[in-house]
Amino acid sequence: MLSTEDWWAVWLGLGLYGASLLTLADYDAVGWMARPRAWEWTDALNEFAWSKLLSASGTAYAAWHPLAAWLMTYAVFGVLLCSGARCLKLDIKRFAFGFTVLFVLTWICWIAGNELHLTMVDAAVDGRNRYREAMLSWGLQLGEGAPYLLALLAGLAIGNFAKGLAGRLKEAAKPEWFIKTAIVFLGVNLGAMTIEATGFAIELILTGAAATFVAYLFFWPLVYAMARRLFKLRRDVSAVLASGISVCGVSAAIVTGGAIRARPVIPVTVSMLVVIFAMLELIVLPGVYVFLFPDQPVVNGAALGMTVKTDGADAAAGALLDELMVSRHLQTTGEQWQTGWILSAAVLTKIWIDVFIGVWAFLLALVWVYKVEKQAGRVSVAASEIWFRFPKFVIGYFVAWLSYLAIASSWPESAATLASGTGALQSPMRHMLFMLTFVAMGVVTDFSKLKGLGRLALLYALALVVVIAPIAYAVAYVFHRGLVPPLAD
Amino acid sequence: MELRFESGRWRALGPGVDLEHSELRGLDALITAAFAVPGGPSRVHVRFDLDGLPRWLRQYHAHYCNYVLRVHTPPG
Repeated sequence: MLSTEDWWAVWLGLGLYGASLLTLADYDAVGWMARPRAWEWTDALNEFAWSKLLSASGTAYAAWHPLAAWLMTYAVFGVLLCSGARCLKLDIKRFAFGFTVLFVLTWICWIAGNELHLTMVDAAVDGRNRYREAMLSWGLQLGEGAPYLLALLAGLAIGNFAKGLAGRLKEAAKPEWFIKTAIVFLGVNLGAMTIEATGFAIELILTGAAATFVAYLFFWPLVYAMARRLFKLRRDVSAVLASGISVCGVSAAIVTGGAIRARPVIPVTVSMLVVIFAMLELIVLPGVYVFLFPDQPVVNGAALGMTVKTDGADAAAGALLDELMVSRHLQTTGEQWQTGWILSAAVLTKIWIDVFIGVWAFLLALVWVYKVEKQAGRVSVAASEIWFRFPKFVIGYFVAWLSYLAIASSWPESAATLASGTGALQSPMRHMLFMLTFVAMGVVTDFSKLKGLGRLALLYALALVVVIAPIAYAVAYVFHRGLVPPLAD
Repeated sequence: MELRFESGRWRALGPGVDLEHSELRGLDALITAAFAVPGGPSRVHVRFDLDGLPRWLRQYHAHYCNYVLRVHTPPG
């Protein structure tokens, strides 16, 4: 339980969540977390002060110098992640160096991305139009999506144009680890949102599970048939590719490879395709959905969850979609949706898919041994595969969510304290891990690896455009149409 | 037995045994034949050598294709 990223995401997420609960005993143990502030560049240049760019998130730490809060953030996350890296048997020196560079880069992008010309939306909220108050003459109006886009661009620039540096950062560029920890924090966030809109949250969860199940009745057989009939691929290549494209990316590809006893080169190749295409989906899909379907926020989030095939890229794309859609809606209607719901739709859908992997691996192993290879009686298949493949970070997500709900509903008088105590987790810590994910994903993505993958890459692209994306959207529409996030207070 | 995939062929290494075949099913047959001797084991545990997978992939699957082969051992 100490040797996988999944479990370490649980320990880090729940450990910090546990520390934040000390607020209930009047002690703020996480308020040192730094957060960037909205700033305007002429104002910052005219009269520079660090406090215009950064601050500690907790009121108990308001007197701290902003750089002290930032250094504390670096120290705490550095120590926690290095401890995890040691147990994961990573090279600690390389990890510490890589993490430091990624951390600094993340914060540069995060602070730069909070400049008002990038974020501020020209609309009145609670009777105030901050865009007009700041007397901005122009603005991209990207909302909180701006820092994410900067982080992604910075990571991709390193991954594709500074490959020497990318190689030195790879030990610490762990997007899946960062995002899984952020997803545990998202459980706390969902707990807080569920208190405010219980019915909506339950509907989202149930329809998400149903939509995922329905979608997978179509995805796998269609992609497998395409690979066999259209591209004349071998059975094992087709099965691994079908799982990689349609179930859950790298994890499903490698698990299917093991279950059907494919040559290891097959899942390795498919995994490379999955990672690179997930990055392309992250870049393209949020913008496409915002442009084509601006009135279907939850449908867009759920469709994203079924289409983007790695946890990191899905959650990152969900976060970007969430910010871009909320900003766009505010800009066009003057209504401000609560942030987080569209992201939750994307993440919840993906979580159901992740849970499904173990069952799928078990079923495939049975089919392969008993029907395809006809080795019944010679090779055994264990049902323990289902638990073995269960994504453990999901446990952290549900523990955080349900425990938050239990505390807030058992002691309603403590709900406000709980919300403010876990505020550092729900916002700056979660956002920082998302930002780290964006940078790290860019660093590990090298588009030149697509060269030489020829037919497999073509099949992947075709299956994605013709099968996965349209069916995912149709199913998400059937189950989620008309659902919109509650309005912000 | 330790299972490897080298130069496009499956290879199994164990106590006094070094076998290889282009297909895993063929290798399974060689392994069972090698152990189907009087007094031999009735079950052979085949463990995949994870060095055959890139390091970043290992976290997704800690055993890849480990499996157990049943051997019909003649009475000794």
